[in-house]
Amino acid sequence: MEASSVSPEGPGATGIQRFREYANANPAQVFLTVMGVIAFALLIGYGLHDFAQRSVNGIVTGSYFALGAIGLTLVYGILRLTNFAHGDMLTLGAYIALFFNVTVGVPFIVAMVAGILLTAAFGVLTELTLWKPMRKRKAGTLQLVLMTIGLAFVIRNMVQLFAGAGQQRLDINTTDTIQFLDLTIGRTQLIVVIIALVVLSAVAWMLRHTSIGRQMRALADNFDLAETTGIDTNRIVIFTWILSAGLAGLAGVLVVASIGSLNPNTGFTLLLPLFAAVVLGGIGNAYGALAGAMVIGLAQEWSTLPFEPQWKTAVSFLVLIIVLIFRPQGIFGTERTL
Amino acid sequence: MSDAATAPAPSSPAPSGAEPILEIESVYKAFGGIHAVSGAGFSIPEGSITALIGPNGAGKTTLFNIVTGFYKPDSGSIRYQGESIYGRRPDVIARRGMVRTFQITKALAAMPVIDNMTLAAARQPGENLLRLIARPRLNHRSEAEVTERALELLATFNLDKKANDYAGTLSGGQRKLLELARALMVQPRLVLLDEPMAGINPTLGRRLLEHMHELRENDGVTFLFVEHDMEVVMNHADEVVVMANGSVVVKGPPEVVRSDERVIDAYLGGGGDRNEPGPEAKLRAAKEERAAASEEPEPPAPDPAEPA
Amino acid sequence: MNSAAASLIGVLPDNLLLGIETDFLTQWQFWISVGILAGIYGIFTLGLQLNVGYTGILNFGQAGFQALGAYAAVIFVVELGINFYIALPLSIIVTIIAGILIGLPSLRLRADYFAIATIAFSEVIRITIQNARDLTGGNQGTISLELDNGIFFNESWLKVSSWMSENLFDPIGLSGSEYLGLPLLVVVWGFLALGAFVLSRLVRSPWGRVLRAVREDEDAARALGKNAFSYKLQSLAIAASLGAVSGWFLVLQQGSVSQEAFEPIWTFIGYAVLVLGGLASFSGVLFGSFIFWAVYEGMRAMDLPLTSDKDAALRFVLVGVILIALMALRPQGVLGKKEEMVLGE
Repeated sequence: MEASSVSPEGPGATGIQRFREYANANPAQVFLTVMGVIAFALLIGYGLHDFAQRSVNGIVTGSYFALGAIGLTLVYGILRLTNFAHGDMLTLGAYIALFFNVTVGVPFIVAMVAGILLTAAFGVLTELTLWKPMRKRKAGTLQLVLMTIGLAFVIRNMVQLFAGAGQQRLDINTTDTIQFLDLTIGRTQLIVVIIALVVLSAVAWMLRHTSIGRQMRALADNFDLAETTGIDTNRIVIFTWILSAGLAGLAGVLVVASIGSLNPNTGFTLLLPLFAAVVLGGIGNAYGALAGAMVIGLAQEWSTLPFEPQWKTAVSFLVLIIVLIFRPQGIFGTERTL
Repeated sequence: MSDAATAPAPSSPAPSGAEPILEIESVYKAFGGIHAVSGAGFSIPEGSITALIGPNGAGKTTLFNIVTGFYKPDSGSIRYQGESIYGRRPDVIARRGMVRTFQITKALAAMPVIDNMTLAAARQPGENLLRLIARPRLNHRSEAEVTERALELLATFNLDKKANDYAGTLSGGQRKLLELARALMVQPRLVLLDEPMAGINPTLGRRLLEHMHELRENDGVTFLFVEHDMEVVMNHADEVVVMANGSVVVKGPPEVVRSDERVIDAYLGGGGDRNEPGPEAKLRAAKEERAAASEEPEPPAPDPAEPA
Repeated sequence: MNSAAASLIGVLPDNLLLGIETDFLTQWQFWISVGILAGIYGIFTLGLQLNVGYTGILNFGQAGFQALGAYAAVIFVVELGINFYIALPLSIIVTIIAGILIGLPSLRLRADYFAIATIAFSEVIRITIQNARDLTGGNQGTISLELDNGIFFNESWLKVSSWMSENLFDPIGLSGSEYLGLPLLVVVWGFLALGAFVLSRLVRSPWGRVLRAVREDEDAARALGKNAFSYKLQSLAIAASLGAVSGWFLVLQQGSVSQEAFEPIWTFIGYAVLVLGGLASFSGVLFGSFIFWAVYEGMRAMDLPLTSDKDAALRFVLVGVILIALMALRPQGVLGKKEEMVLGE
């Protein structure tokens, strides 16, 4: 457009300004470059083995982060709801699986499926009893945020009421490890990564290539407009909750499987890293959430090289803060699309 | 509508001063791929009344937003009272004496009418936290003076009886008048009105136009307004600026412009965006609809504990 | 308890609720304790009210400000040997600076992002406290109020407290261990009342008018020449200082300070108090805080047949249900004004 050559009044374009323009237009490249530089520095500083090992851990973390982040971003993208209860849906899924696996005694896979299905059902329940009526009443941000916080309290503490506050373990093998290329990964953790990647690919494919995926994207783009074009919004919204809550349940189970134990606060402590992933990737953007989650997972694990492990969680908060300060729409966010 | 519109305008004095109060040149603004404003430019002499017209999507409101600092243009120059205001914040521009009203009225419904008015007064010592605490008597004096001025202004728009009601209880037309009265409290030099006549009855509309002319005569206030009502435009504007496709097509006195072929083309030949209404327009339409739906006046529950 | 009240209560059964111990309801100890907590979190929530009810910003970092106020005050006195009465205002300055630093990059974000950003900042503060052993001393961010050099954080306070006991409460017959918390109760509520009074005057002033305009529609305020950002920042800074004050009193009440007291859940509880009392009402904050803590502590004292972690869980389930119910059914809260309700887009 002709205008770009007309300089605005005021100081002429300097080097910094030109860099800013470039960064604004190509955020992904800039970000990946920065990340690459950091990775390279860590590699040189700590050696290939340590760096690679941490990266493996980071991928494990990133996989279950991704499952949680996609659900969070889907619900935001389609319903404009910032769901502070999402972390506790992970907890719910995990405890349901725990119940079936340890108390009832079924094999882990069955327990996992139970966790997914029942959490998905719970998500639909919240839609029917809470979110739909509030949407009808055009509730404002404060109301919705506080309701999700209240819901988070209820889920977390109901779990604690029944299961107690102590750490609990699944009845699965968490000590077997697999070695390849001089790197270690837990056998269960490897399974976690595989399951996550399979599910994530399926979700990504669904969004892009199926009719329901297209309809979801239309709703995310412009809810009211999509309604007028004959899309059955109720059906899509319900499906969104099934997907979001189901993925959260799965993520919760995988978290427990990979860490080994859990307590009622596990999900909530994951909420902020999940927000970090979602915001980093661009809220409402499913692929962004995936990428963001991997980045956060890797960043957390890499940070254990220079810093002590108890600062791990602070890393995701810092990333979140930095993204919010410099590019709140996230790396991949420009418009709100799935 | 025709009542107010066809009342003859009082004869306008020749605009004073050599410097135009507002000069816009080669302004460009694009959203995503859509060029909302492409190369718009015109200037307005001080003390004049100018109408900005054009089909929907021509970029008029976008231009307003740019001039008042709510959008930053991609390029171009905007000079107010001889100084560049390119990239300045909207509150800074307003403090320099340029105020605007909004297409979808922004009457502050959760505040009483009188608060809406007193809010607008400029340079109140009580608005500064430190001065408020350190010099309470100064604040009292300023409040008294500002309140008196506000009530007078409300009276000219027949809203003084409503001074203590929450602005949310006013009808749509009353809220429009409140927004205008509030803008005038700032004692501005340049007033930009976005569709001032839309949704108000003829009597009130006439009062609004009378007031506009009075302010121009007595205080030399400049007006720029977007309007769709052609009778109003023809009878009350000194100059008319016609926009289409994001740029200025014609500028001149009403009689000249009304018969200019390019203007007729612009309106008939799709002078809006080349394609049919784009997402921004659709979004605006949806928002407008929602806002219009919520403009129903709601009576508040009387609260005896709340002082006037 | 005076004899008339005591005899009346003596008539009532010990177990008011189906065999659950309710004796505590008649004890001064209980009500003083409730009162102190209600007062502390009342001050905490005054800041939230200013932010949410009058400025329209969703500050979810208040627990972080409380932590800063508490730790700064204790560190100043105990590790730097600064006079108690100077350390307190100093800690407010520290917290205000933090509030400004946090607000500068975050306040331009939209409401829910600002909420997330403030939680993130608050957690960074808490985690730093938890892990910076050399600064905050002790295990996992717990500071005892005395260090080897024999300086007590609350030494000066204890002097005031005993003066008050001797000269104000003993003469009217309120002496003895049940009334030990009375001085703190009086001072906390004194601050709370003062704070509520000052704030309610402030929001009626021209300054408060701009704030309320910003609450409803920032662009309208800007179009009238008001620097909306600056007002939001001032609101946040004031809330931060109130958080800091509530931090000191928390330290005095607990007798020690530990990072667990500053987890985000306490900010959420502040919001529960806020919406219970009602938005845009400072007196509502006092009311809401008292009701909340009476019920909360009451449930704790009731000695229900549950283990302590499940007992706590039950209480929090109740908090969650109240939050949901209020937001769904009566968002303006008990004492809030419906017309002043600007719930945001």
